[in-house]
Amino acid sequence: MKISAFKKSYEGKWVLDFPGFELKDGNICAVIGSNGSGKSTIAKVLAGIVKADNRRLPVPNDISVGYMPQKSFAFRLSTISNIRLSGGSEEEALVLMKRLQIDHLARKRAKKMSGGETARMALARLLIRPYDLLILDEPTASMDIESTALTEEVVSEYCRNTGCTVLWVTHSLQQARRVAQQAIFMRNGCLCEAGEAEKLLFNPDKTETREFLEFYGI
Amino acid sequence: MQTAVERAFQLIVTGNAELVNILLVTARMSLCSSVIALIIGVPLGLLLGSARFKGRGVLLVINRTLMGMPPVVCGLLFYMLFSGVGPFGRFKLLFTVQLMVLAQVVLITPLVIGNMETYVSDISQTVRENARGLGLGRFKRFLLLANESVYQIFSAYLLAFARAIAEVGAVSMVGGAIAWKTNVMTTAIMQYTNRGDFSLGIALGIILLSVSLIVNVVISLLQRRLSR
Ligand SMILES: Nc1ncnc2c1ncn2[C@@H]1O[C@H](COP(=O)(O)OP(=O)(O)OP(=O)(O)O)[C@@H](O)[C@H]1O
Ligand SMILES: [Mg+2]
Repeated sequence: MKISAFKKSYEGKWVLDFPGFELKDGNICAVIGSNGSGKSTIAKVLAGIVKADNRRLPVPNDISVGYMPQKSFAFRLSTISNIRLSGGSEEEALVLMKRLQIDHLARKRAKKMSGGETARMALARLLIRPYDLLILDEPTASMDIESTALTEEVVSEYCRNTGCTVLWVTHSLQQARRVAQQAIFMRNGCLCEAGEAEKLLFNPDKTETREFLEFYGI
Repeated sequence: MQTAVERAFQLIVTGNAELVNILLVTARMSLCSSVIALIIGVPLGLLLGSARFKGRGVLLVINRTLMGMPPVVCGLLFYMLFSGVGPFGRFKLLFTVQLMVLAQVVLITPLVIGNMETYVSDISQTVRENARGLGLGRFKRFLLLANESVYQIFSAYLLAFARAIAEVGAVSMVGGAIAWKTNVMTTAIMQYTNRGDFSLGIALGIILLSVSLIVNVVISLLQRRLSR
């Protein structure tokens, strides 16, 4: 799946320059980089939440795109109704909730959930149906180790089962290594390096990437 | 003075016929105008608060101006439009409850719009991001936004109702405070006080304050619910 090049500025202030990238179908691509490097902006532009400067969508128009924002949000509905917003039967929803260990919250008001529970609910809300491209913006940021591991497992499984391509924003290098086959390293609003996860996350070409990895103490 | 208050309570307790008529006319008028204002104002407020389009800023300024319109100015406008020589004179609506409702709708709808717009512009970004992220269409997004705003819609309604019931400038001009026909609580208070008859005015004042108290208790309960 091809992502075309685009630029993004907010009120005339430049924030992002993306040169384009070829996502491998059915793979998970991790987007890593420091705070403010433009990871969420990529996610929002691809999801059609904000428009690129040329006002074009950088992904093909005819694909379905699912997007999980960085800050999870619960609609004023029960948890299960939240999850079934975009389809799926009650049984499917319950199976998914059980898998993500939030089935005991099914009938509770979704707004009353904790941060980590809300994030798992937001994820289930997406995984209830297939997408061509799934964009997750730091889905595990508010989760504990257990839920994080569970999420990584469930999304990888979803990917294998549906053939969905996933763009996974994370600031955890370890997470990127665990889940991704491809990776993009963003730095100050520019794509610094992109390619196979094996290479980029262990033995990158660019010194900037190397420095970033060293920060994590590879 | 004491006897006037005593007589006021007597009027309320015994259900004085004129008092009851005034209450019924007031209820009919305020319920109609607040419901119509809600039906028009809520969708417009939701749209104005959530959609970003050219001219939105201008519309907001116009709405804020209308929110501050003095009721007598609104009354004057409708008086001129519907008086015998006015462009709508042939409808013979001057000094009817219908025209009072119409004038109040013009006064109150901007309040509902403004109230909803402020609330919705706060939450619409988040709601839109999440709903679009699920691939939901425009209509479903709008319903979700309305659903997020349910308590705000209630409180906007109560605000509209409270304004309608307490408003005097417009209704006295276009209604004429005709006894047994267009006399509402506020105009009756003015009328009876001018005649030196305080007891009915006091009785109505007590009722108005009680209604206002109830409305505000409900609003504050809703707000507590909202902030939770
Ligand atoms: N709505 C906006 N208006 C103006 N500037 C914005 C807006 N959204 C983001 N920016 C700017 O764009 C830059 C990139 O932000 P972005 O949210 O993409 O970073 P990020 O890589 O996701 O960071 P984090 O790791 O903190 O989530 C930042 O400098 C930010 O200030
Ligand atoms: Mg971000």
